[in-house]
Amino acid sequence: MRYGMVIDLKRCFGCYGCQLSCKAEHATPPGVFFARVVKRESGTYPNVRKVFLPLLCMHCETPPCEAVCPTGATSKRPDGIVDIDREVCVGCRYCMQACPYEARYFHAKTRYYFGAQGPTEYEAVGYAKHPTGVVMKCNFCAHRLARGEEPSCVLTCPTHARTFGDLDDPQSAVSRLIKERGGEPLHPELGTGPSVYYLPA
Amino acid sequence: MSVFTDPFDRLMDDLQETARPQREWVDGRGLLLIAGHFLSGVGAGGWAFSSALGFLPGEITSLIVVGLGGLAHLLFLGRPERFWRMVRVRSSWVGRGFVGLNILMAAGVVSLALRATGLGGGGWASAVWGLSLVGAGIVMLYKGNVYAVCRAIPFWNSSLLPVLYVAYALRGGTALLLLFLPWTPLSADHGLIEVLELWIGLSAGVCILFYLTIMANSSVGARRSVEDLLRGRVAAAFYGGVVAVGFVIPVAIGLLNAVTPVSMGVLALVGLASLVGDFYVKYAIAKAGRYLPHVYQAR
Ligand code: SF4
Ligand code: SF4
Repeated sequence: MRYGMVIDLKRCFGCYGCQLSCKAEHATPPGVFFARVVKRESGTYPNVRKVFLPLLCMHCETPPCEAVCPTGATSKRPDGIVDIDREVCVGCRYCMQACPYEARYFHAKTRYYFGAQGPTEYEAVGYAKHPTGVVMKCNFCAHRLARGEEPSCVLTCPTHARTFGDLDDPQSAVSRLIKERGGEPLHPELGTGPSVYYLPA
Repeated sequence: MSVFTDPFDRLMDDLQETARPQREWVDGRGLLLIAGHFLSGVGAGGWAFSSALGFLPGEITSLIVVGLGGLAHLLFLGRPERFWRMVRVRSSWVGRGFVGLNILMAAGVVSLALRATGLGGGGWASAVWGLSLVGAGIVMLYKGNVYAVCRAIPFWNSSLLPVLYVAYALRGGTALLLLFLPWTPLSADHGLIEVLELWIGLSAGVCILFYLTIMANSSVGARRSVEDLLRGRVAAAFYGGVVAVGFVIPVAIGLLNAVTPVSMGVLALVGLASLVGDFYVKYAIAKAGRYLPHVYQAR
C-alpha cells in the first residue's frame, strides 16, 4: 500500500477550493498552507497562457526531509505517508531547507486572522492542536483516511481534478490515470520519488 | 523587492516568487544560526591552531567561542529544551555537527584540565587531544555539508561549499589568534600565523570566485541567487562585508607585511577584519539561498 494523488492540470481552473478546504480541515494558522495553488502567466501577448499548479507535500518515496532530520521527528509510515512527530521535533527547520517542494512551514508563534481582536471560536479550538516551535505540513489527511474518507482537498475539488488512491495497486484509479494520461511527478530529476503525480494540461 | 516588514505579509509576497528566497535560516532568529555557524567554525579552527601551537589563551578562548556558538544554535531552535534529541548521525549533518561539537567541547575541556593538573604528558592526554581535533574537524566540516545536501536550494547544492566553509573555519581560527598578538606574550609564532592567514584568506577568496562562477552558469534558482549577491538584496553584505572587509583589507595588509613588517596592532586589525568577513560569508550565502522554482515564469 502506498497512498498517492493524481492532479489533472487540464481540469484545475485555479479556484483555490483545495487550499481553503485544507485550511478549514486542519485549522492551519495564518501563513501556513498545507495545500496551495501557484498561479503563473507565461508567454507574451497575444500568446499568453495561465498555469495553475496545486502544491502539497509529495509524500516522497525517498524523502530528503526525513534524511536530514537530526531527531527522527520526520518519518515515513508503511502506507507511504511522511509524517512529523510534533513531540520530537526541535524546530531546527533543516527539513524545510531540504524539501524541494516547499511543503513545510514553521509555526513560530500562535497568531490569529483578526490580529488584536483575538481568536475566533473556531481558531481557539483549531489552533490548540498545533504546538508552536515545530514544523508542520500536509499528512494526506491521515485522520480522514483512518475513517475511510478521502483527503479534504480531493473531496472539495469542484472539477474532480484530484484523484486519490493506492499507487501500488495497478488497477487503482490513480495508477490507471498515470499510465493512460502519462502522469509525471514534479522535479523527477531529484530522485525523491513523489507520490503526487500531475497529468499534463 | 518586498516592501513588507511583517513576516506573514512577507511570506505572502515571497510565495508569489518564481524562486522563493529562504528566510528561516537567516532572518529574525535565523541570525542566531548564522552566528552559531560563525562562532563554532572560528572556535574549532582556533582550537586546532592554538592547541597545535600550545597557545593556552587561544585554546581557552576557542573553547569559549565554540560554547557560545553552541548556545546560539540552541537559542535558534523552536524547541531548545529538546536539543538532546539531535543525535541522529546516520544521515543528518545537523546531527553530526551536534555530536562533533560535543566531542570538541568535552575533549577540549578534559585536555586542558589534564594539563592544568600536570597530567598532560601521557598517552591518555594525547588521545584526548586527538579526540578534540576529531571534534574540531567535524565542526569545521559539517556546516558546508548541511547546506550542500539541500537540493531544494540550488545555490547551496554544491560540493564546493564544504571546501569553502572549511577554508573559512581555518582562516577564522588563525584570525582569532591574530587578535591576541598585541596583548599576549608570544608563545605562538606570529609570523607563521600571519603567513597562514594570508594563504588561507587568498585560497578562500579563490574558492568564492570559483563557486560564484559555477553558480552563475548553473540552474535558474542558482543564477537568481548569484544576482542577489552581485546586484540584488544581498549585494551590500557581499561587497561590504565579504569583499572589502573580509578580503581586500586582510590581503592588502598581509601583502604589505610581507614587504615591510607591520605592528602587532595592525595584525590584530587583520584578524578582526577577517572575522567580520567570515561572518558575512556565512550570512551572504545563507541569505542568497532561493528554493528551486516549480514554474519557470513571471518574476
Ligand atoms: S514533499 Fe517535502 S515534506 Fe513532503 S515528503 Fe517530500 S521532501 Fe518531505
Ligand atoms: S524541524 Fe523538526 S522535523 Fe524538521 S528536521 Fe528539525 S527536528 Fe526534524
